[in-house]
Amino acid sequence: MTDNYSATPPQQVVSEEKANPTNEHQPFAERLAVALKDENLHSALTRFAPSWRASRKDIFATEEADYGSDFSFEHMRATLRTAKDYAIEHQPELIAQFRANAEAAGAVIFEARTAEDANRYIAELCQRKGIDLVVKSKTMASEETELNSYLEARGIKAVETDLGEWVAQLSHERPSHMVMPIIHKTRQQVGAVLSESLGREISREDVAEQVAVIRVEHRKSFLNAGMGISGANALMAESGTVMIMTNEGNGRLVTSLPLVHVVIAGYDKLIGTFADAMTQLRLLARSATAQQMTSYTTFITGPATPGKEMHIVLLDNGRSEMRADPRFKDALRCIRCAACSNICPSYQQVGGHAFGYIYSGAIGLVVTPFHHGLEADAGPQSLCVSCNACETVCPVEIPLPSLILDVRSRVVEAKGLPWLKKVIFGAMARPRLFDSAVRFFSFAQFPATRGGRYISTRSLGVLGKVPGVRPIAQLARWRSLPAFAPRPLRDRVKGQLTSASMDRTATASPEVPNLTVCYFAGCMIDRLFPEMGEAAINVMKACGVQVTFPQKQNCCGLIALNSGDRADCVVMARQTITTLEQALKESKADYIVGATTSCVVTLTQDYIRLFEDLQQQGWLQRARALSEKVMDFASFVDRVLLANGAMLPVRKSGGEDVIVTYHDSCQSINCLGLRSEARHIIQEVLGLELREMPQSDVCCGFGGSTSIEHGDVSELIMNNKLNNAESTGATVLVSDNPGCLMHLSGGVDASGRKIRVMHIAQLIAERLA
Amino acid sequence: MSKLACTNLFTRFQQRLSSAGGESHQVASLTAAAELIAAHSALMAGNIIVPPDFGLHSQWGVILPHLSGQGITIHEAGSPASVADAPAGLSGAELAIAETGSVLLAENALEARVVSMLTLTHFVLVSESKLIPMLDDAAAILLQLARAGSDQRHYMSFVTGPSRTADIERTLTIGVQGPKVLCVIIVADQKEAKL
Repeated sequence: MTDNYSATPPQQVVSEEKANPTNEHQPFAERLAVALKDENLHSALTRFAPSWRASRKDIFATEEADYGSDFSFEHMRATLRTAKDYAIEHQPELIAQFRANAEAAGAVIFEARTAEDANRYIAELCQRKGIDLVVKSKTMASEETELNSYLEARGIKAVETDLGEWVAQLSHERPSHMVMPIIHKTRQQVGAVLSESLGREISREDVAEQVAVIRVEHRKSFLNAGMGISGANALMAESGTVMIMTNEGNGRLVTSLPLVHVVIAGYDKLIGTFADAMTQLRLLARSATAQQMTSYTTFITGPATPGKEMHIVLLDNGRSEMRADPRFKDALRCIRCAACSNICPSYQQVGGHAFGYIYSGAIGLVVTPFHHGLEADAGPQSLCVSCNACETVCPVEIPLPSLILDVRSRVVEAKGLPWLKKVIFGAMARPRLFDSAVRFFSFAQFPATRGGRYISTRSLGVLGKVPGVRPIAQLARWRSLPAFAPRPLRDRVKGQLTSASMDRTATASPEVPNLTVCYFAGCMIDRLFPEMGEAAINVMKACGVQVTFPQKQNCCGLIALNSGDRADCVVMARQTITTLEQALKESKADYIVGATTSCVVTLTQDYIRLFEDLQQQGWLQRARALSEKVMDFASFVDRVLLANGAMLPVRKSGGEDVIVTYHDSCQSINCLGLRSEARHIIQEVLGLELREMPQSDVCCGFGGSTSIEHGDVSELIMNNKLNNAESTGATVLVSDNPGCLMHLSGGVDASGRKIRVMHIAQLIAERLA
Repeated sequence: MSKLACTNLFTRFQQRLSSAGGESHQVASLTAAAELIAAHSALMAGNIIVPPDFGLHSQWGVILPHLSGQGITIHEAGSPASVADAPAGLSGAELAIAETGSVLLAENALEARVVSMLTLTHFVLVSESKLIPMLDDAAAILLQLARAGSDQRHYMSFVTGPSRTADIERTLTIGVQGPKVLCVIIVADQKEAKL
């Protein structure tokens, strides 16, 4: 310990730290409010997201075009997943192998069970060697352990040398993005922070000058620091090598110039071989920044020169708990590329200070409970709209959306459901009670709807000022809420679809087998939009399909599941499976078809996962068998009917004034992989003009109850979608999922926009001859 | 390796390095390499820094007399501070990888490494026979070099273009901590050069 800092009483340093708390220590609600007001953040992320999507796609396409399908994104990510899974499975052996090789090369290994253990080891090492200045290259593991404030409280100055990390450090902020730490800041803000910290005027406009200043400032730190601290992108067991990727070149200086090099890395960074690491290099650089390679990738195996020390701190801090969990161990595959942040519609609106704790983005929502406790995640996880986009770009195939729902259900178990959700889901799980309640409300809603299809600012009128109604009026301000239909679909079809002989029309081509379909409505179509269901049924009937409607069908449970209420979801899942099995038996139906892709995903994917988790083998088998029969409406029409030669008896468009733009619902494109089906019908079968909107596959902002809990986030996402749709000049906005359609048509109604919003089934039904 | 395959590899290497912001050249001999370096704008002051004992390097050592012959003063690298922001540095690489436009530096000595870390323009020599197609081809070589033994390489780096950042408003800026210019020179192998 040297004199110049032992003179500083630690308490004073600690209180300074308190005076400038880093932002994640603010309560979630405050962080979110700050983020929503931050125009810079919003415009920076809104510009970034589409350009990242495009360049990422290009760079993977280039690799595949040059080297073949073994180098496709899908193939490479399956390869890396296998390698990472192997490392997780064989972690004890890999640790032993890594340790033996690294120690043989002269490195010192320390296994830290907790964040405190890791921090203490590093601080004591500094104190033993009289080091009071440390340079760091970017390491999320040290953010996780809050190493900087730990060192500063002990009089050790830690300087971040990654440019963005340093500016964040000077601003007393956390990185808001794992790869681009200050994506939320403008050049003017960077100039201001630099000017204030350096005590002289630095350009607020010229980025090159700002970078040049940082180069000079850091050069002094590099040459004077006693210790360099880095993270690791991978730890190769076969040789005891640490791999570090940087673009700026600071990583090589941090690991070379000071006499002591400390690596801090989670156990999840272990990987078997250099060959595995090469696949990681490709996927990480391309997923993170759409680069072929980062500028510098360094491989260090023990100290390289006499007198140099290398210490490797292997961090557990909750990772063993993750590894022991059959679901969450998948999250240990993460390589911290932040693609799941970049693709996330909520992240795009609020940034990483609100969408996450220290780790941000979808993966942040998944790992935070293990590293920083469930409470730290309670707020951030509620921002996930369950759009599933993150899973499609994850380079190691982590099932992020379902892990986030698992976290949500843990939050619900710990804190309980809000009373209103408890009442609603409890009622939905009791079909007769639910039915009576909806019928009651379809009358009782009259003062709010005045007989219209929406509860809107207009229809509410002065009623909206009544205290109990005000929250509803607030919600309806930017998106009119749907009214319950006077007669649900189940009533409208009663007695019309039960006869086996009726409706078999002559339009079926001879080569199309006579098909029977069991129609699954989903609550939204049944109770709110029966006209969508009727349209779907009419289209199928017009192709000669016999359609049956099981009257005992109820909610599939998706809405409870998405709110973290697994208990009620299980009840509804069992009801639905039983009802549909019975209906299949009675009607001998070939398919169960739904025009709600969200429910189709629940029936085909969520149930299986749910009963796997609960280890209920009997139900699991029944869920699997049922899932084989279930299909969404657009696929059924396109891939079963049309593909087998059925003729849709429609008027082809003749100079009609209809221009269509298509919204890919998240569940349709991300979970079911639908893309061409509806487009084929619109263009080839109906002969209508289709104009693609920008970002057609980005969420509309509905996200179940998220649009109620985080109305302001949802409103921003919705407006992007509607603006994109309108920018095409289309007259009709079509999709295949009633949740999106409800949300978007409510937005159109509230804002007085002109575009019509309709289900693909309605678009076809309008044109039936 | 056939001449055609080699030319194709270099084309790919050049294309990839260029999109990472780096320069590359293919030359027939070290004499040609020396001429190329001497004519580069980074050599305006007529100085270049090389790793200690570079002149004794079995493969690259003979370039030094050629450089001197072009009127260039050669300095052997010393402490990091003495190398910092020197206008030009020269070192040799173990490999070049066409797929990514990367070169592999593998030097234990700090003085050798700072040449590639702290100079403003970094020239790198690689043998044509060490230009390999894919990262996967490099994996086995990396393992061999990292393995314990008398010639264990403790510190290796893939370098792919100059130092860069896009942290501020995603504005690409070259030369943050490392070199602002990277110039890779692929040199035909001696045997082939003689033929």
